[in-house]
Amino acid sequence: MSTIDPRIHQVLDGEIQREALPPELRRQVELLEAAAALLAAAPKAESVEQRVMAALRRPAAPRRSRLVWWLVTPRAIVLRMRPVWTLALAAGLALLTLLPARVSRPDVGEEEGIAQFVARFPGARSVAVVGSFNDWRAGSIALEDRDHDGVWRGVVVLPTGAHEYMFVVDGERWVADPLAGRYVADDFGRENSLLIVRPVLQ
Amino acid sequence: MDVASAPSDAEVVARVLGGDREAFGLVIRRYEPGLLRYAARMLGSRDAAADAVAEGLVRAYRHLASCRDPARLRTWLYRIVANRCKSHLARRATADVSLDEAPPVADPRDTEAAVERAEQLVLVERALRTLSPEKQEAFVLKHVEGMSYEEMAAATGERIPTLKMRVHRAREALLQALEEYR
Repeated sequence: MSTIDPRIHQVLDGEIQREALPPELRRQVELLEAAAALLAAAPKAESVEQRVMAALRRPAAPRRSRLVWWLVTPRAIVLRMRPVWTLALAAGLALLTLLPARVSRPDVGEEEGIAQFVARFPGARSVAVVGSFNDWRAGSIALEDRDHDGVWRGVVVLPTGAHEYMFVVDGERWVADPLAGRYVADDFGRENSLLIVRPVLQ
Repeated sequence: MDVASAPSDAEVVARVLGGDREAFGLVIRRYEPGLLRYAARMLGSRDAAADAVAEGLVRAYRHLASCRDPARLRTWLYRIVANRCKSHLARRATADVSLDEAPPVADPRDTEAAVERAEQLVLVERALRTLSPEKQEAFVLKHVEGMSYEEMAAATGERIPTLKMRVHRAREALLQALEEYR
């Protein structure tokens, strides 16, 4: 229940002209505007530009340190999985365990694992994977659709641990992996797919 | 800077993503004042606001490639800083000095008008503090940062009707508080 005349809101929201208000209501509008102007003109805080640029110029920590930091830092992770995807995920995992015996395996270090990306984007001209493992730069991991059946595939070696990722379709459309099964809310109001890379059994 | 020759946000983002790290300074200079003002209102402390904005800008730089619409860089940055502010509030140290507790120190060189203005500012800040954090945020984004409801929705992730309701309630409560203080 509004405690002030609704025309005050209409003026401040630009829906009607302030000239349409009687003097008393106009005074209330001006009081609110003056309060906002005072807040806008409040003493300026010290600039953080030098501090930020210094942080950006510092060499990034080694990937291993960043991974350890990521793993030990407390953070809220939202995991949501539709029951139907659990079956798909189980089938995918079963495939992953069977495939290595038949395909040539890339060189994998002790703290690395193999990630296989499969996505269906019929009609797409290109599909790439971006994520925390490649600083979200599109183009560095391109998937292939050799059969031209709309199913794009790629296998890469990644450090073991959790990685957030998304697909970039045709260089501009960012899409979460519908088969990921796990998603993480990021700072920017969307959900990234979550991939957990495990070490390869030697 | 000559406004006509100032590069657009999309151009600056393209330069940074192309490897020109120093171009990110343009982003900072362009949006830092508003971000600091906004964070200070949210956290009630200029020191905490500086920390939140600095962290947010570093994070924005590192994730710049995931900014899908560089033309809307401003609301994207506000969203990141808003999240940093929420993190700060969650682990708030009691040592922070709030803006309320630290009124501006009178300077003998201040004119009478400046002193009066500082007193009015304290009064408005006190009135603002009577609002819930959500209403404060809505009022500040709308009336201090001059955002449209669409931009506010992009910056906060909230729905426009929700934001509109918060702004209306904030105006009502603020007006009432200001009338009482007068």
